[in-house]
Amino acid sequence: MDTLLTAEIAANSPRYRRRSSTFIDGVHDVKDEQAQAMAPAQLYSTMSGRLFHSGRIVIVLVGLPARGKTHISVSLSRYLQWLGVKTRVFHLGDYRRATMGPGVDVPEDYFFINASAKSVMIRQKILKKCREDIYGWLNHENGQVAIYDAVNPLSAGRESLAKEFAKHDVQTLFLESWVDDQKILEENARSVKISSPDFKDMNPDDAAKLYLKRIDMKIPHFETMKEPNLNWIKMINAGDQLEYNNRSFGYLANRIVFYLMNLHIKSRQTFFARAGTSDKTDYYQADAPLGEEGKIYAEKMATTLIEHREAERAALIAQGGSTAPLKPLTVWTSTRKRTVETADAFLERGYAVRQRSQMSQLHPGVCEKLSENAIRKLYPEEVEKHQSDPYHHRYPRAESYHDLAVRLEPIILELEREQNDLLIIAHESVLRVLYGYLMACDAMNIPTLKFPRNKIIEIIPASYQNEAKLIEIRDLNPDMIPGSPEDIRLPVPPSGMVSPLSGMGTPAMGINTPSEQTMTPPMLLKPIRIVKEEHPLSKD
Amino acid sequence: MELARPSRKTNGVGVQVGDTQVCVVMVGLPARGKSLIAQKAQRYLKWLSIDARVFNVGNYRRKGAAQPTADFFDVNNAEGERVRRAAAEAAVNDMIKWFKHEHGIIAILDATNSTKSRRRWIKDRCDSEGIETLFVESKCDDEDLIMSNILEVKTTSPDYKGQDPEKAAQDFRNRIRNYEKIYETIDESEQDLTYLKIMDVGKRCIINAIQDYLQSRVVYYLMNLHIKRRSIWLSRHGESMYNVTGQIGGDADLSPRGEQYASKLPELVMQSFEGQEHPLTVWTSTLKRTIATARHLPKEWNQLQWKALDELDSGVCDNMTYAEIAEEYPEDFEARDQDKYNYRYRGGESYRDVVIRLEPIIMELERSENILIVTHQAILRCIYAYFMKEDQERSPWLNVPLHCLIKLTPRAYGTEKVVYKANIDAVSTWRGKGSKALHEDPTEETESLAK
Repeated sequence: MDTLLTAEIAANSPRYRRRSSTFIDGVHDVKDEQAQAMAPAQLYSTMSGRLFHSGRIVIVLVGLPARGKTHISVSLSRYLQWLGVKTRVFHLGDYRRATMGPGVDVPEDYFFINASAKSVMIRQKILKKCREDIYGWLNHENGQVAIYDAVNPLSAGRESLAKEFAKHDVQTLFLESWVDDQKILEENARSVKISSPDFKDMNPDDAAKLYLKRIDMKIPHFETMKEPNLNWIKMINAGDQLEYNNRSFGYLANRIVFYLMNLHIKSRQTFFARAGTSDKTDYYQADAPLGEEGKIYAEKMATTLIEHREAERAALIAQGGSTAPLKPLTVWTSTRKRTVETADAFLERGYAVRQRSQMSQLHPGVCEKLSENAIRKLYPEEVEKHQSDPYHHRYPRAESYHDLAVRLEPIILELEREQNDLLIIAHESVLRVLYGYLMACDAMNIPTLKFPRNKIIEIIPASYQNEAKLIEIRDLNPDMIPGSPEDIRLPVPPSGMVSPLSGMGTPAMGINTPSEQTMTPPMLLKPIRIVKEEHPLSKD
Repeated sequence: MELARPSRKTNGVGVQVGDTQVCVVMVGLPARGKSLIAQKAQRYLKWLSIDARVFNVGNYRRKGAAQPTADFFDVNNAEGERVRRAAAEAAVNDMIKWFKHEHGIIAILDATNSTKSRRRWIKDRCDSEGIETLFVESKCDDEDLIMSNILEVKTTSPDYKGQDPEKAAQDFRNRIRNYEKIYETIDESEQDLTYLKIMDVGKRCIINAIQDYLQSRVVYYLMNLHIKRRSIWLSRHGESMYNVTGQIGGDADLSPRGEQYASKLPELVMQSFEGQEHPLTVWTSTLKRTIATARHLPKEWNQLQWKALDELDSGVCDNMTYAEIAEEYPEDFEARDQDKYNYRYRGGESYRDVVIRLEPIIMELERSENILIVTHQAILRCIYAYFMKEDQERSPWLNVPLHCLIKLTPRAYGTEKVVYKANIDAVSTWRGKGSKALHEDPTEETESLAK
């Protein structure tokens, strides 16, 4: 009986995730074991695949529901993977759902201290399966960090958890999200729970309050972390304050605190758009201004985005959502003239615009002013090297995408820190790297991501995984849409590469589907194309 | 190459400062390691090409009162209070001038700043100038640590120079007592301040209301610091076969003389203990020559291999001699001598690249106590530059002789250096600008790690 049940759980187990296309957040992907590729911002590699002599670590989340635990786990995993630390998140909720079956909730007393024997048995079964997967990851799949996303409400339970992991030679770092600011709690509850059928036809504020009350009834005992002998970090009120107890922090634990200093758990949107075009042949060093076409583009892009945001809000209100005004929109550009001038359309409308010099495009080095043919002729070996590793290879005196990723680290942390909605207007190479971070793309795919000029990309951060949407800018001169004239005209690796757009409408399974349907952008009449894919395991 | 040029806005090492200017305000009783922390933070930021300066209020005060006794610091001493207040004002004025006219990025205000009203005054001054503040409180009740700091101060502080050490220690303790009377720790009533409060020697920390990336970066560094006395030992690998043939890079074995050095290293380390024996942790690179050099050290000492400590990658020039490089890549050979810090070998690394990859090593070094590092010439130049505040123009040209052990001890007012020579002959791998010689002796003016 037990084995049968275990087999069933295994079949539904969250371990066996499909691999996503780059259009879907890859943060939960199981990476190919054969692929020895380095992570986007990894500084060096080791034989064991473990970095910084930090050993194996389990990061144990602590906190009641609606405290942003899942969001914190997923974001942290994204960042650590970016640095090259092999990290995977284990959401206990996934195991609960897989064990209970679809639509079945855990027994009422499941979280009680004095739960019935039956509930305790279910609880142990779920925990066992999750624990086994964690050990499997750390012992047999070269994992370095496992993030264990569960409530872990009791001090005694946490002490014994740390002891158990220590027996397996795994260090434990607890990470608590503690919120006592009612406003943050209600906002979180609203954004997570609004879709649940339980709260249908209810005023969102009342629904949020009811939801929070239910949590208190369901999990009546919760002890915040005070344990003097455990390693813990406490994030208070979505990052207003951090407190930690350091028994034996290593490099990674400190690095995590550094990341958390920049993280908040409030939801907001990020938009990506290209800069407008220039009349002149734009060399890197020339830094040309916008041409007439470029100015028209800037105007249209601004109108499209502003209208889109208003339309989204109206749609949300029609569905009974919050009537709160839109979050302010901040615009970031690089210090290059074309991006700055593209943002002028927003500046004139009173939006805040910030220039960030580290968002300058990939430096083309010797490739500047050379045609593709000339590059091939002058540097045949370099072209060959570039084809075998377009992410790490640098043309003479040029930057590689890896260099760019390392240079963009502050931008990535500022991106996490920003609380307003954000529009980033930048060169395609910069958008590729930032998109690669937010959607956890493989390093090797980043250099070929395509951002045609007639699309604004919107990234919606759901706590479980990010989603990308496309917003079409209509009536643009078709000449300016594909490619970017000032790109280094480098040979694009043949097939097997994916772009954020090629995955549109196709099932995410076929990662190796060649995507050579080059970007003839679908100039469709539909006003806005929205692509949204539900993850089969997405929450609730 | 344009992008590698540090400027106020881009410094090429992944740390970006934008338009923010931050005043880091130290808070804490005397003998809590504030000056040491301030010094280290400045050194670290400079190493990352961020312009930083320490403003030590004590130095301003000494202009009016060079070597005052403890009574001077009594709250009831009106004259003392006036002089100290004036010193704080002078320091803050100079700091604001520096921000305005020299476009400084991070100032570190090194003083006790022990009352709420003093902290509020600093915050208001900075707010009105558009400068962010980050308060850093070092709260420490560890008696041993305080005592060792008192001993350190009485011997190195300008306040007590040339005085009887016993009397100095006593006076310093009295001074601390005077401060304790008025000391207010940062608490709930100051929640609008951005602060880092370090308690129990870093075991517990509170980080409040961080405003931006730059602040988080500073806090991240400070979290890794400790203020216990410790030393760091640096050595190159023993002479390698490539050193003998004048080739660069590669993964060669030790030469016979290099083997001799490896055998002598344990003795040299013992000598450096100066009678106080204790175990070290040994770090090597992953290349054969450093591992072989460290292999005779006591087995019970922990040894770790770091990929990040591998020699600067010379790309296509790996395994070549300088003469061969000059022959095959004349433009590169010249470009490198023009700007050695920023020059990146084709398919390889620059010194600047090395500094970026050493960041985890530096953080780990700051967290650790006694460490012996056996590594390579370029890597040692970068690590040495960090501890000794060498600038980018000079550090790639430093002479790092083979077969000697360097012991660095960070102190409150600078890093102390002692060199132990093995007296085993080795070739010189130092090279002057433009030289293609197989081996060349450094000139009299060459700055050396071993001097």
